[in-house]
Amino acid sequence: MSVASPPRIAVLPSAVADQIAAGEVVERPSSVVKELIENALDAGASSVDVAIEDGGRQTIRVSDDGCGMSPDDAVLALERHATSKIRSAADLVGVRSFGFRGEALAAMCSVSHLELETAPDDGAGTLVRAAGGAILDVSPIARRRGTTVRISRLFYNAPARLKFLRGSRSEWRAIVEVIGSMALTRRDVRVSVTNDGKPMLSLPASATLRERLAAIYGGAFAGRLLDVDDVIGTTHVAGLVERPSDVGTATRRAFLSVNGRAVRDTGIVRAAEAAYRSTIPAGVRPTIFLDVTVAADAVDVNVHPAKAEVRFRDRWPLERAIENAVARALGTFDAGATLGRSHWTFVPPSPPPQALAPVDVEALHPDGPDLEGLFEISNNDTLEPPPSPAAPASAPPPAPTTDVPPLTQLHRTYMLFEHEQGVVLIDQHSAHERVLYERFMGTLERGEAPAQRLLFPMTLHLGPAESEAFERDRELFERLGFEIDGFGGHTLIVRAVPMPHPRFDPERCVRETLAALTGDRDAGVHARHERLAATVACKAAIKGGDLLSPGEMRALYIALRDTKLPAHDVHGRATIVQLTWDEIDRRFGRR
Amino acid sequence: MRFTISREKLQEGLAAVTASIPAKTTLPVLANILVEATEKGIRLSGTDLDIAVTTEVAADVETTGAITIPAKKLSEIARELPPAPVRIAAVGEQRITLDCGRSHFKILGLPRDEFPAFPNVKFNESWRIRSGDLIKLISHTSFAVSTEESRPILNGVLWELRPEMMRMVATNGHRLAKMEMPIKSTGAPASDMIVPPKALEQIRRLFPEDEELEIAKGENHLGFRSPFTAVFTRLIEGPYPPYEQVIPKDNNRVAIADRTALTSALRRMTIIASDQTHRIRMSFNAGMLKFSVQTPDLGEANDELAVRYTGDPLDIGFNANYLLEVLRYIPTDEVRLTFKAPERAATLEPEGWADPASYLCLVMPLRLLD
Ligand SMILES: Nc1ncnc2c1ncn2[C@@H]1O[C@H](COP(=O)(O)OP(=O)(O)OP(=O)(O)O)[C@@H](O)[C@H]1O
Ligand SMILES: [Mg+2]
Repeated sequence: MSVASPPRIAVLPSAVADQIAAGEVVERPSSVVKELIENALDAGASSVDVAIEDGGRQTIRVSDDGCGMSPDDAVLALERHATSKIRSAADLVGVRSFGFRGEALAAMCSVSHLELETAPDDGAGTLVRAAGGAILDVSPIARRRGTTVRISRLFYNAPARLKFLRGSRSEWRAIVEVIGSMALTRRDVRVSVTNDGKPMLSLPASATLRERLAAIYGGAFAGRLLDVDDVIGTTHVAGLVERPSDVGTATRRAFLSVNGRAVRDTGIVRAAEAAYRSTIPAGVRPTIFLDVTVAADAVDVNVHPAKAEVRFRDRWPLERAIENAVARALGTFDAGATLGRSHWTFVPPSPPPQALAPVDVEALHPDGPDLEGLFEISNNDTLEPPPSPAAPASAPPPAPTTDVPPLTQLHRTYMLFEHEQGVVLIDQHSAHERVLYERFMGTLERGEAPAQRLLFPMTLHLGPAESEAFERDRELFERLGFEIDGFGGHTLIVRAVPMPHPRFDPERCVRETLAALTGDRDAGVHARHERLAATVACKAAIKGGDLLSPGEMRALYIALRDTKLPAHDVHGRATIVQLTWDEIDRRFGRR
Repeated sequence: MRFTISREKLQEGLAAVTASIPAKTTLPVLANILVEATEKGIRLSGTDLDIAVTTEVAADVETTGAITIPAKKLSEIARELPPAPVRIAAVGEQRITLDCGRSHFKILGLPRDEFPAFPNVKFNESWRIRSGDLIKLISHTSFAVSTEESRPILNGVLWELRPEMMRMVATNGHRLAKMEMPIKSTGAPASDMIVPPKALEQIRRLFPEDEELEIAKGENHLGFRSPFTAVFTRLIEGPYPPYEQVIPKDNNRVAIADRTALTSALRRMTIIASDQTHRIRMSFNAGMLKFSVQTPDLGEANDELAVRYTGDPLDIGFNANYLLEVLRYIPTDEVRLTFKAPERAATLEPEGWADPASYLCLVMPLRLLD
């Protein structure tokens, strides 16, 4: 075996090596678009025009009004590892520009025909023509300040890649995605796009995310989103998210930028979605647009060839911050469903700071001195209050009512009030359920509720499944304020009960809750708390059909306003529906 | 039917009856007042099917007869009439004319046959009680009834009648009020009745304190009658829970406090107490009662009150509103509180009450957290 076989390993010609490397950066036309727009933005452009032909398979042209390049730089720019954006590895930490590898132009150049026109100022500029990675010629031209890069016949020399290109429509859709995400990342830049000569998108520079979304998806869509804006530690979370009541009604979109860079990150998206828990049905996903800003050294952007992913130094607190920020956005009355088209912001006036004294919520108190209905006789106008032989002290002064609008009960089911921009309806059961749910959750997670001892203990006879459910959650029932003795077999003696509101029927609540919890699988502690709190809240809440007094309505309004997620009940239904004057006027043909 | 009545008499009669007319009803005739003209005068009646009130007023009856008239409209008309005699006549079964001075009204009514019959209560087996005694029991106990629909029995006031005494008890299961007083033997059968507070309120409203009331019991109704006015009520079916068993007999810690001062301190504490539970803590020590309240997200408060206290020190939690409410009805300047343990019933009674009646209120504590 002395015959040497030819060597099997050979160093590739550099052109081939460049082509392979290019595959990492330039996968399809949309990645070309992405790299070119990023370069334009890095050059400080305030306006970017994109022209596409045949889904980018024929031509991709991106023009900007950025800083441009000198003739020497224009040639250097096409070299591999040629970049103006970093000088050393240390610069990578906290790098703010989109580009930093010096790869993109070289990679594109190696698999296409490329023309680069650039001028650092209006007037004298440079035209560089290249193909397959080789510069064909460099010539002076006259043009405006800025740069135009034209990539044509992409992958003309890479048949394997060419074969994998999809039809022009499908490539176009991918391009639209890329442009959309860039347009959301940099709202301040004017963007126009043509496809096969037809204008497809023209976005003026916008001041806000909402404005930009309105330009892309329409004002109705943008108007219904809720503002997120929260600073938690060094993390700033801002953006717009979908109202829970709208979730599932239209295409779901998710956009996330981290330190000004559009990225994909399932962890963050999941954290944002977690904030919707208990407000939307399982399985549907909300639309979210979030800008996350973290300390520059808290994130590594150089982990993905297309920079589509980033790595966080400490992910857990970040995700908590995001969940909290979104939860806070959902936790305003504003998050209630809107009927009609226009959007308005309803910020319930917060109680005046001096109002440290409790607002008189006699209605949801265990029988306050103001005993509703005790001597309620048929004809209320002829009723005088019962006399007190002992000349009782006068009733407490009426509560400050300035911060609660007049409420009307409709259909014994809804409370209605008027607001500057329209009328608002609150579902009394859903609202009360939400109030109680949050209160019970607080109790379960943070300790015990007061237990009112009963004069006459209640005896409950349970079926085997209910007894089992009780044994499993016994300790939680006690934390909620029940004092229950097992009496052997399936008999319970209830000696003390919580008093979440005066209409509370503890016996029925315990029975129905246990019936609902039978067969529950063992779950995590938090999940069990949520399940029990939601079940008890549902069973304990006032029902549709219950007549509410003005005092009860006021108390419910206040309690609801103070919840974290007033706009949604624990089943994800809306508790609040807003009907705007616009909509009402429209229906009456006033506009 | 045709009669003439003074404007004042008409107003007086209507005032007695309209309170028993339901504000909303699915049975239209219940919104009407039954007007019956007899040789003696006229009788006005109203009912919501649970309670019925009927009263007689003097009138000059020309022809006897009866008809029902919308109560609300008739009262409004009577209120606005000029001071002159009122002539009312039925025209057929459903029409009424009303004339007063130069005013003339035609009103649509409903035939008397549609008006429900009164409960069958026979006054030939009646007994007598002074209205003032009854009213005293009512006003000290009926505040304590439950307003929840879940236990209808507790929606009523238990009225226990014995040969030598009578007693009323009301509770919502968290606190209880009980008053009893000796009575002259009336020959009444010993009986326990659970009376809707609405009916008791009518008694309190309609009968002057010094009137002797005739009282009679039907199958499941009760009737109260004075010479001109009668109230009938449905009774709630028992049995009433065994309240005697829960009234503590061995409370060995006793405090005597000034009622007004105690009330003021409690009211100060409720400002900081939780809106839901009104929970406050009371710590009894020789000579001193300390109050404290802590409410997360709101704040805390403390107070002190000198009291006469005997027994071991005690820390106990209450819904302050229950205490305040009971204190309103304690008829003396000082109140006597007794306790056994933090999870056992506390009692409140008048201290130094020179009265044949005896009064006791009971309040169940709230669990304290430590
Ligand atoms: N539109 C443009 N306007 C001005 N200068 C540009 C433009 N496009 C590219 N350049 C210059 O050419 C250099 C190379 O660009 P290229 O995209 O290849 O690399 P990069 O942006 O530095 O890094 P990356 O490979 O991460 O994109 C850039 O550093 C920049 O100096
Ligand atoms: Mg680049």
